[in-house]
Amino acid sequence: MARIFTTDYDPCGCGRNHADMACDMPTDGTGAMGQVVEEAVLRAVFPQAATRRAMLNTFGGATLLAAIGDILPLVDAREAFAQTPAAPEKRDLKIGFIAITCATPIIMADPMGFYRRQGLNVEVLRTAGWAVIRDRAIAREFDAAHMLAPMPLAMSLGVGVASPQPWSVAAIENINGQAITLANKHRDKRDPKDWRGFRFAVPFDFSMHNYLLRAYVAQAGLDPDRDIQIRAVPPPEMVANLRADNIDGFLGPDPFNQRAVFDGVGFIHLLTRELWDGHPCCAFAVPAAMPREMPNTFAALMKAIVEATAYSNNPANRREVAAAISGPNYLNQPQTVVEQVLTGTFANGLGQVQRVPERVGFEPFPYHSMAIWILTQMRRWGQLQREVDYAAVASQVFLALDAGRAMRDLGLTVPANPMRNETILGRSFDPAQPDAYLNSFAIKR
Amino acid sequence: MQKPVSAWRATLLSLIILTCFLGTWELALQGAGQGGGAAIDPEYAALLGQAAASGGQTPMPKPSEIGRRLFQLLSDPFYIRGPNDQGIGIQVAYSLGRVLLGFGMAALIAIPLGFVIGMSPLLNAALNPFIQVLRPVSPLAWMPLALFTIQDSSISAVFVIFICSIWPMLLNTAFGVSAVRREWLNVARTLEAGTWRTAFRVILPAAAPTILTGMRISIGIAWLVIVAAEMLVGGTGIGYWVWNQWNNLSIADICIAILMIGLVGLALDRLLGLLARAVAWQE
Amino acid sequence: MSKPYVSVEGISRKFPGLTVFDNVWFGVNRGEFVCLVGHSGCGKTTILNILAGLDAPSGGVVLADGREISGPSLERAVIFQGHALMPWLTAEQNVAFALGCKHKGWDAGRLRDVARSALEKVGLGAARAKKPSELSGGMKQRVGIARAFAVEPKMMLMDEPFSALDALTRGALQEEVSRLVTEAGQTAFMITHDVDEAILLSDRILLMTNGPMARVAEVVINTLPKPRVRATLHHQPGYHELRDHIMDFLITRSRSLAGVAPRDYDPRHPPEVSPAG
Repeated sequence: MARIFTTDYDPCGCGRNHADMACDMPTDGTGAMGQVVEEAVLRAVFPQAATRRAMLNTFGGATLLAAIGDILPLVDAREAFAQTPAAPEKRDLKIGFIAITCATPIIMADPMGFYRRQGLNVEVLRTAGWAVIRDRAIAREFDAAHMLAPMPLAMSLGVGVASPQPWSVAAIENINGQAITLANKHRDKRDPKDWRGFRFAVPFDFSMHNYLLRAYVAQAGLDPDRDIQIRAVPPPEMVANLRADNIDGFLGPDPFNQRAVFDGVGFIHLLTRELWDGHPCCAFAVPAAMPREMPNTFAALMKAIVEATAYSNNPANRREVAAAISGPNYLNQPQTVVEQVLTGTFANGLGQVQRVPERVGFEPFPYHSMAIWILTQMRRWGQLQREVDYAAVASQVFLALDAGRAMRDLGLTVPANPMRNETILGRSFDPAQPDAYLNSFAIKR
Repeated sequence: MQKPVSAWRATLLSLIILTCFLGTWELALQGAGQGGGAAIDPEYAALLGQAAASGGQTPMPKPSEIGRRLFQLLSDPFYIRGPNDQGIGIQVAYSLGRVLLGFGMAALIAIPLGFVIGMSPLLNAALNPFIQVLRPVSPLAWMPLALFTIQDSSISAVFVIFICSIWPMLLNTAFGVSAVRREWLNVARTLEAGTWRTAFRVILPAAAPTILTGMRISIGIAWLVIVAAEMLVGGTGIGYWVWNQWNNLSIADICIAILMIGLVGLALDRLLGLLARAVAWQE
Repeated sequence: MSKPYVSVEGISRKFPGLTVFDNVWFGVNRGEFVCLVGHSGCGKTTILNILAGLDAPSGGVVLADGREISGPSLERAVIFQGHALMPWLTAEQNVAFALGCKHKGWDAGRLRDVARSALEKVGLGAARAKKPSELSGGMKQRVGIARAFAVEPKMMLMDEPFSALDALTRGALQEEVSRLVTEAGQTAFMITHDVDEAILLSDRILLMTNGPMARVAEVVINTLPKPRVRATLHHQPGYHELRDHIMDFLITRSRSLAGVAPRDYDPRHPPEVSPAG
């Protein structure tokens, strides 16, 4: 287990580096859960904070723990801690969600009993918009929330909020599952080079939709801030705006792409999996303190979510899931629209029925490389103005190890490395070289 | 001086206007939603909405469709099938609860404060700039501020109702109190009535009609604001229900919600109208 | 001459650039009915307001019962020109309100009973449950009169109380007031520009010149015998001389005497005349 600690930056004496983010962020290494055990051990062995700090400074955390591990069975302690199905500290939870198919695992876990199976009584509450979900999450009206994958990154870095709010991505909800939809009148304008002057909508500034759209048009030589207009619009309004000719297209979440086709308002230009197959979209987000303050609840939630995600991913279950989540209590959309999205057999608005079973995928593992790409794009477009330690931030916000543990417990294969090379818009992205990647773009702020 | 209007004739005319309007609407949309496009693959057509399948766009619903849906909703108005799916009766109840809370608090503060302002020209002049600056601010602008400071979405909604509905009551009370006839105040003075007796037995009844007018305007604003506030914040309430049906692009439900909102607003206004009549006096 | 109940000593009313009246002296004795007659603008209403305590003079002082007046008082009740009834109360409630101000300890039942009898005294017993909007002008003024008498004030102040009524109602109310005043031995001060009214009701009539710089030009003693009844009053010997004298004043002399006073005018003792003999 690699511990990426430098010990010369320790303003609050907790012995950890948290790369100028708020203090209650767990560090990387063994994930938030393992951190609990290790901290406890360190404090037991070195009860004086000053001594502890001095030891950490001299030897480094890894060495210390390795030494202690010779005497104390740390690995076993960690495993035991994780395995014990101890009773959740809090059973009644509120999880906010936005009514889009990205949140399928969070939503279907309710009617299909995945929360109940872990002894949790979860109320999933449909919320009005991303800003409201963010505010209510910060105000602790929700115990966990459906968020866009970039949101916990932005919130933890203090971007777009009044002060840094430590939130983590405990699991990714969906990969792929978005699309660029254009108004019917643009049937013959399929080349982005012809999109000068177009007005586009995306759901939120800190979203994969925004970053993918910008990357896509930038690759075609258009500057997304000068040559086209991009606005943040709530997804249902995207369809209405398209119909009213207020926008020319949108890169938005399903089911609204399919809904535009269903209502005869637009057509699907391309699925985002054609831009980056396996891109993250939405996340299951928890307060950074949850794994430490309510470890049992957190473990139970993770089990429920990962199980739900795996179930939803199975193509055999897609129809069943669509039926469960279309009703007025959840997505409130016609069932056929949701089915077309989940099964991948859909009308594309241009007269053809397409069959793309991988249109949307549900895979929980929060790769750090995803976070790093998001951070590079936040810097590329000027949302993040200062230098950050990409890897450190990614490892603090994307709880790869906790998700990995839950996946292992359910018998799923866990990726060996939280970093992997990605192929994005036809180019290779190496997460170990984020600055080089960032500098390779002609169009940026 | 106008002749008194017979209630029969007014009702009849209203009904005629309504029928004409609904009839025109229904007829205008008779052929809507039909695209008349080329024959489409039946498998493809099956995946589309009715209108799109024939090449058109889903149209505005007809009054008959809205009527059918209205009947459906009203036949079971109080169901609860989950936190996000509750009957329209329950949603209205939530909204009314918030309105009464916000409006009640506003009244409790506006009327005494207005009284004091009305009796003191100095206070009136001093507070007037603040009132005039705060009064035109839209609830949509207060909401983010409220959410940021109060951090609880329910309390924020009530606060926004409070801050938007307080002004008419405040201003009307101040005006009503300051405009009490000099004569009656003189009578009270010559009878050595004293401050409290004068305030409660002379000034208050004299200003009551103006105060009630202010309250009537305020309740209208409060009801308007709650719909907007709930659309922003969501959760429960008729405003949230509108927004939710908007998500589903179900225009019929939105029309019904508008109708409900209007009817409840009417009922609230009538209620306060009755109160206003009770305190009205004639010279 | 016993000390007057109310003594007006050198009051004046001045505004920047305008002196309505200056250095006015007169007294009202107990049980006496004094009228102040003059044209609009001579400050009659101001003087009445000062006596009521609703207004303060720019200079000078008013003593009531030996003490300086500092504000309105139940001892000096006012009958206003417009009836000043509270329109949300019935006739009975209006009178009861006044009684409640005077007798703070009385319960509702007692207030109601006394109010009722006060209304009956002015002949409005049957209308006691009516609101002012349901009463005629004359009836409303009667309620105002009942209200003022009900509090049994030491002095009654009346500000042109009948000028808003038609001639017939006016006559009836004048006699009503005359009766009530005599019965109660009420001290009263009234402003009017109706000559016949003044002659019917008052013991002394103060004649004021036109403003600005108005003054009490004369005090007319009314020697006509009491009780006075409208039907027979104008047949009394001396009536017409009295009336003519006052009319002359109102038509001609109020204007000709206006402005600066003659050298032998003593404000403390304006000349007294008895035209009726």
